[in-house]
Amino acid sequence: MNKMTEGHTVKRFDDEMVFLHRLVLEIGSLAQNQLKRAVQTLNDKDPSAARDVISRDQELNDLDVQADEEFINLIVKRQPMAKDLREIITISKAVSDLERVGDEARKIAQLTIHIYDTDSSPPNKQVLRDINTMAAFVGDMLKSSLIAFDELDAPKALDVIRLDSELEEEYKSALRRLTTFVMEDSRAIGHMVDVVLGLRALERIGGHAKNIAGYVIFLITGSDVRHESVECIEKQII
Amino acid sequence: MQPNTQTVSSVTPLMVCTDIEPIAAHDNRKTVGEISVDNPRMSCRNVNVFYGEKQAINRVNLDIGRHEVIAMIGPSGCGKSTFLRCLNRMNDTIDSCRVTGEILLDNQNIYDKTLDVVPLRAQVGMVFQKPNPFPKSIYENVAYGPRIHGLSSSKSDLDIIVESSLHRAGLWNEVKDRLDQPGTGLSGGQQQRLCIARTIAVSPEVILMDEPCSALDPIATAKIEELIDELREEYTIAIVTHSMQQAARISQRTAYFHLGDLIEVGETNQIFTNPQHKLTEDYITGRFG
Repeated sequence: MNKMTEGHTVKRFDDEMVFLHRLVLEIGSLAQNQLKRAVQTLNDKDPSAARDVISRDQELNDLDVQADEEFINLIVKRQPMAKDLREIITISKAVSDLERVGDEARKIAQLTIHIYDTDSSPPNKQVLRDINTMAAFVGDMLKSSLIAFDELDAPKALDVIRLDSELEEEYKSALRRLTTFVMEDSRAIGHMVDVVLGLRALERIGGHAKNIAGYVIFLITGSDVRHESVECIEKQII
Repeated sequence: MQPNTQTVSSVTPLMVCTDIEPIAAHDNRKTVGEISVDNPRMSCRNVNVFYGEKQAINRVNLDIGRHEVIAMIGPSGCGKSTFLRCLNRMNDTIDSCRVTGEILLDNQNIYDKTLDVVPLRAQVGMVFQKPNPFPKSIYENVAYGPRIHGLSSSKSDLDIIVESSLHRAGLWNEVKDRLDQPGTGLSGGQQQRLCIARTIAVSPEVILMDEPCSALDPIATAKIEELIDELREEYTIAIVTHSMQQAARISQRTAYFHLGDLIEVGETNQIFTNPQHKLTEDYITGRFG
């Protein structure tokens, strides 16, 4: 329980808010795990494990539906206001983003199946190196955004938003490198589209982490910073 | 204009707050938010209200804009009803009550010694928590005010006022065939709309409402809320309510009172999504009160 969720006259309301808060962390943990496992299947060249990752996405979908039911019940019962209302909105949006992180992780797992479960020869390691680099980067972003949510840490959330610009640069560099690979060896083009889609999925995961960080700042300050510059957000949280 | 420090005294004590802290305990509180509006209908400055030695309202400053609904919220005993009753000098009827400060209605100090409270209470009408129709016919309930204020010169004039007031109160279609029947025979929601018709029959500028829906069922409440929204086009409305959802639905500005202080005032959307004062936050999220 944190200062956002505690202290209602109706103690049951506290319990319900704490439950939702923990549900976000549970869904976040599962989404992080899905990303990690999906990338691991690629490194292990293991289509069978990739299929496990894909089937496990259903757990995230179920939790997403459960969370929606919990929001609706809580809104009906408690008609939350002010920071409670902001927390409900934050949780609702964060859960949607985390569910989509799961969808993106599934795309990485599908990449493993496309590459290693076909007759065509897999791409060389250099082509896949950027997947690992970007996966580690967005994994950290996702972790930080969830810590910022759990600890109501606006500066940490701002760090995640700052990292998104770096991620965009990283993504563009990776695309440039892939273009170079294709120009050097046009036979590699078969898997390049899959790899580009994999990179795109990771870039989107970074975007979802940034979204969650933005919701955290909204939760803490009441300001919607989704379309604000980093400089503007800095002023909001000082 | 100098602040008026007239002592209000009268006959029967109607209400005495006993759980109000003395001024010394919280005299440094400053209202958060913008108390002023452009071209206000009513303007209150440094308003203090005392019941005997007890201070119920502490230096409240607040403007009430034209054609706005302003909601006053706060825990029981916070002074919101007391403040509302200052706006048409209803507190004059409380023996031990003393009001200081300045309350202007269209730049006229309503506590001016020369001011007659009878026309004031027509200009600033009031609707109470419990519907209180006169023990008279529906027609007479509405016609009574215009008649004693001399607003009609003939029976046909009065008929027009009664019909238009009942129309504006959303009651005409329900009572047009039984205007001679007692007002007390209507349902609770209809009685409250009859009281609103009675209030608007004397062409007020401001309507004060003290928890007007607290005795009504949800459908009757919805009708009154719809009516309040329509009345805003012609009148200024100040409403005291314990329902945060009601305040959020019907008002444009909200004022939060706590232990006699006006803690925060602001746009209703801002107050209910991102209040700036911790006391406001704690109250509207159900953390105390």
